[in-house]
Amino acid sequence: MTTKTTTRLSLSTLIAVLAMAIATKSPAQAADLPVLQFRDHHFVPDHIDVPAGQKFTLQVQNLDATDDEFESNDLDREELVPAGKSITVYLGPLDPGTYHFFGDFHQDTAQGVLVAK
Amino acid sequence: MRKQIIAGLILSAMLAAAEPAWADYRVVSPDEIDLGEMELENNSSSTYDHLPDRSNAQSYTAEFGTGLTPWWHSEIEFGWARAPGGGQANVLTQIVTENTFRLTNPGQYWADVGIYAEYGQTVARGKYAGANELTFGPAIAKDIGHTTTTVNLFLTRQFGPDQTNQGFDFSYAGQTRWNLWTPLSPGIEVYGDTGTLTHGNNFQNQQLLAGPVLLGRLRLSQIGLGNAGSLTYEAGYLHGLTDASPTNALRWRVDVEFPF
Repeated sequence: MTTKTTTRLSLSTLIAVLAMAIATKSPAQAADLPVLQFRDHHFVPDHIDVPAGQKFTLQVQNLDATDDEFESNDLDREELVPAGKSITVYLGPLDPGTYHFFGDFHQDTAQGVLVAK
Repeated sequence: MRKQIIAGLILSAMLAAAEPAWADYRVVSPDEIDLGEMELENNSSSTYDHLPDRSNAQSYTAEFGTGLTPWWHSEIEFGWARAPGGGQANVLTQIVTENTFRLTNPGQYWADVGIYAEYGQTVARGKYAGANELTFGPAIAKDIGHTTTTVNLFLTRQFGPDQTNQGFDFSYAGQTRWNLWTPLSPGIEVYGDTGTLTHGNNFQNQQLLAGPVLLGRLRLSQIGLGNAGSLTYEAGYLHGLTDASPTNALRWRVDVEFPF
């Protein structure tokens, strides 16, 4: 396979992937999910039930005076939440189970779980 | 803060202990922004070939990065390299600015998409001089079940009096990671370079390597280095699949992040 053929295939694949990436609609907000808050470097609530098998969004609000970071290795997410601000985290679809998250800047106190069911 | 300094010193000691080099093998994620954090990174590789003149090419970097905005990650990189063969020296070859621009929020669409752009300014002189380089292209990531797959498609253009080719060079890289356990997960990866687009190299004249990789991430609190931040590592073995590729290569990466 020559360079030109490789390049054409790669560019075609790239265009297809980019088109698919932007064509998908954003997930709907699960109406009854509570807002996850950083409060005194703890998560409130520290346990949230979420729907399994579908995409959803989670609002994370930082009520503290300093920044923190919503991070989860189970969910593969790492997002800064500036002091006094809120962010939207896009998640799912998740298999049924328990997913840990933590505040990366206060790992000893900011711990929580999402339970997908 | 003291423990973050200790983490940085450990990273520096690794840099001092190993042979210096310039890293070629690394898959860029569109989602790594590190806003509010400082990142220290070492990315290294060493190649081996059955022909002595093509063996023992080494590369080594020291990188310092952070997120400048919620969608822009930037790093400055110092790169050392040792050319293959005997009688070669380890030299500081390039200072590079690397930038990742995140175009989509993680998980919002079918795939996560970003644009990567770097400029490498050569700093070596004499027989070790090389071209200045501009590299750019998309970085795409997607979670499928318990796996994460990341693909890079990059173009590189050389500039300056020491450039060795004209036109754009096309390179690609891909990695699939099985998210079995955060501290240690297996993956596979591939790196290819077709050469300059205008010359139409046949397959055996293109670089192509593939192989397994181990990846992991630890919170610094888990290893007694403070209450914030994380350490990420990768260690991989690559096997050359074409005549133009080295017989095999080892690569490793260590990345420490901590909040400002």
